[in-house]
Amino acid sequence: MSADLLHAATDMATPTLEMRGIDKRFPGVIALENVDLVLQPGKVHALMGENGAGKSTLIKIMAGVYEKDAGAIRIQGREADIKSPRDSLRQGIKVVFQEIALISEFTVAENIFLEGYPTGRGGGIDWKKIRADSAALFKRIGFDVDPSARTGSLPVSQQQMVEIARALAHEAKVVVMDEPTSSLTPNEVALLFTVIRRLTTLGIAVVYVSHKLDEVFEIADTVTVLRDGRHISTRPIGEHTNETLIQDMIGRRIDNLFPRQRTAAGTKVALSVQGLSTAKKIRDVSFEARAGEVLGFFGLMGAGRTELAKAIVGYDPITAGTIAIDGSVLAPHDTRTGVRLGIGLLTEDRKTEGLMAELPVYQNTSLASLGTFARMGFIDTARERKAVQEYVDRFRIKTPGLFQQIKNLSGGNQQKVLISRWLMRGLKVIVVDEPTRGIDVGAKSEIFALIDRLAGEGLAVVMMTSEMPELLGLADRVAVMCEGRLTAIMSREDATQEKILNAAIG
Amino acid sequence: MSHTSMTAAPDKAESSFFARLLKRQEMALFLCLVLVIAFFSFTAENFLSVRNMTNVFGQASLALTAGIGCAIVFISGEVDISIGALLATIALPLILIMNGTESLVLGIGGALLFGLIIGIVNGYLTAYAGINSLIVTLGMMFILRGGVYLYTGQRAIPDDAALDSFIALSDGRLFGVIPYSAIIAFGLLLIFAYMMQHRPFGRQIYAVGGNPEVARLAGYDVRRVKFTCFIISSLLATVAGIILAARVGSAQHTAGLNFEFQVVAATVLGGVSLAGGIGSLTGMALGVLILQFLSNGLRGLGLPTEWQLVITGIIIIAAVAFDEAKRRRAIGG
Repeated sequence: MSADLLHAATDMATPTLEMRGIDKRFPGVIALENVDLVLQPGKVHALMGENGAGKSTLIKIMAGVYEKDAGAIRIQGREADIKSPRDSLRQGIKVVFQEIALISEFTVAENIFLEGYPTGRGGGIDWKKIRADSAALFKRIGFDVDPSARTGSLPVSQQQMVEIARALAHEAKVVVMDEPTSSLTPNEVALLFTVIRRLTTLGIAVVYVSHKLDEVFEIADTVTVLRDGRHISTRPIGEHTNETLIQDMIGRRIDNLFPRQRTAAGTKVALSVQGLSTAKKIRDVSFEARAGEVLGFFGLMGAGRTELAKAIVGYDPITAGTIAIDGSVLAPHDTRTGVRLGIGLLTEDRKTEGLMAELPVYQNTSLASLGTFARMGFIDTARERKAVQEYVDRFRIKTPGLFQQIKNLSGGNQQKVLISRWLMRGLKVIVVDEPTRGIDVGAKSEIFALIDRLAGEGLAVVMMTSEMPELLGLADRVAVMCEGRLTAIMSREDATQEKILNAAIG
Repeated sequence: MSHTSMTAAPDKAESSFFARLLKRQEMALFLCLVLVIAFFSFTAENFLSVRNMTNVFGQASLALTAGIGCAIVFISGEVDISIGALLATIALPLILIMNGTESLVLGIGGALLFGLIIGIVNGYLTAYAGINSLIVTLGMMFILRGGVYLYTGQRAIPDDAALDSFIALSDGRLFGVIPYSAIIAFGLLLIFAYMMQHRPFGRQIYAVGGNPEVARLAGYDVRRVKFTCFIISSLLATVAGIILAARVGSAQHTAGLNFEFQVVAATVLGGVSLAGGIGSLTGMALGVLILQFLSNGLRGLGLPTEWQLVITGIIIIAAVAFDEAKRRRAIGG
């Protein structure tokens, strides 16, 4: 009671939502440490930070997806206990996640009312009201979509608008939007901003998670910046400039985690990409990667790093441009030729696209080069295991034996097995996508040393990353992407965090 | 896009009722059923007779009743194959209690209580302990079947009480025409079809099966929904078991053998997807009737049972392949 009074006295209005001293730990990682976030009614509060800064964790705690380890959440001055999405919804918190959270088999109208169906007499669902209210809601916000359309048949951008509309259908006190514009067209972004302004006139507190500076300057009243799981600053938007925001987001000095063993990079072009575009994201990207160098690609969420990686190894189809490996042209959408020509992808998503979790280490290593061990159609397993053992020794892969199932290895060692898989195949170019995602800090430097060594052995390494220290520590040259385009290429010497982030924000 | 929505009620508002009806997946099944009936009414003797028709509905009532539960569990994204063994097991408490007390109500009460317990165990192990439902219910199937073998010593336990009200469940007919068992089955079908399309809980089952993560974010208790589905399934199998016991007049260790697969076949034929979130009880019911009329007609033609099995198998694979092809086209376009 006295605490409530105190808040009422110190703050202008009672905050709609108050998060104080939030801690969240995951095994091996501190995701949030003593983070505060205070939301005022009718205001747009931007939440900013680099990838991994803790934005997502914080809003997932708000949404009841994660439980906080410590700290307090107060809603309109009252202590709130949020343990599940249901608790969160009951408190009037609506989170619109980046991933579409709609049932694709349901109609648009039904999805709008998924969180609570209006019922008539006897408890039956009032479908008429659902259709009519959705139609009225769409009309009110100027959103042109058929409420009876099957949700799965709509393009992703419209599905995202449906989600945002859903936040309006219920009594919400807080609406959280996580990177809401990542798949919207400019027109839809304008529509979204109109919707957000309408929300604020209703006294709803809006949290806007984004890394797009122009959007934040246009829509936000206040900005909170997180970095490495810590609260860095909360200021009115008027006190910020591009530079101060970027400064708050980066802030740290890069410490040299990993000693480079290599000397100079070679000059021979191993991979040449010209005018590459894909249907999904990539627009007119051209670059060359030389044997013996690490070419680092940096980009924020949704910049198109993974899409580029998949296109240049022939995994995804391309719509324009050429890819050449050592002068031989790689036919688009053809990983077989890709492997033959000597380009391999170390995927970001180890679990689903890289590992055969149940298979032993040796089979996972030799997977791409079984042909070289075959004799008259049978695999010479003795030779196969001998070759694998060489890699296990060479990279000091920590495994109880070649027959150990790979799922029992640590993330770092799994990654080494995957790298071995491609080296065994005799690669010239290796594309690594987020090589240290999900790998704990201790093992990271080992992966860095490994990548360093790959380049040292004369491979061209193309590294996709969203982590600044990784980029600056490893890359000989830095390429920056934004919205599917290449916005800058600079040498290691020229690259600074400010320059890179500026190019990444576009 | 061909409208593959099988979620009945929440469909096109503006298009006419009739146009909506034609677009529905169930329409194709209904036409299939009409075709099957038309074919056999010309080829098989006495097929169209009132007696034969009502017999088919009576025979279908077991699969129909248990099929409701099977379809609901499928829609929630799980499977339950313990229903056949449960069908046989349920006769034990039913007959033993009736023989001891001469009371139908107590017998049925005991049977339902037994079914409830099995449903709770299946549901708990699947939804809360996180064990794959195929494994749980496969195990339950063996346990129950083995238990019946052990208890009965492979001899039938006769219904000594022979209560009139109980016997009526087997051959009683409303106005001497419509079997009571069919009335029970269609009554339950109506109630649960209404629940699935028009009660929030029914829609929650669709949501949980369609995308559990989304359902959780929408504030649903995914585990509780799945748990409840298993209880519904066991209770409906219990009702089917009571009707079966009335028909055979005893508790038998071989009762309901392979029943679960007949029900699964009909449910899948009816367009209910094993992947969850897709299908309707109407579809399931049409699937049951198509297979029942088919088997009855083929028997009328004098075709041996072996051939009926082969034909049923072909039809099920063809129907699901057709569905899948349509779905892919819909997504691609």
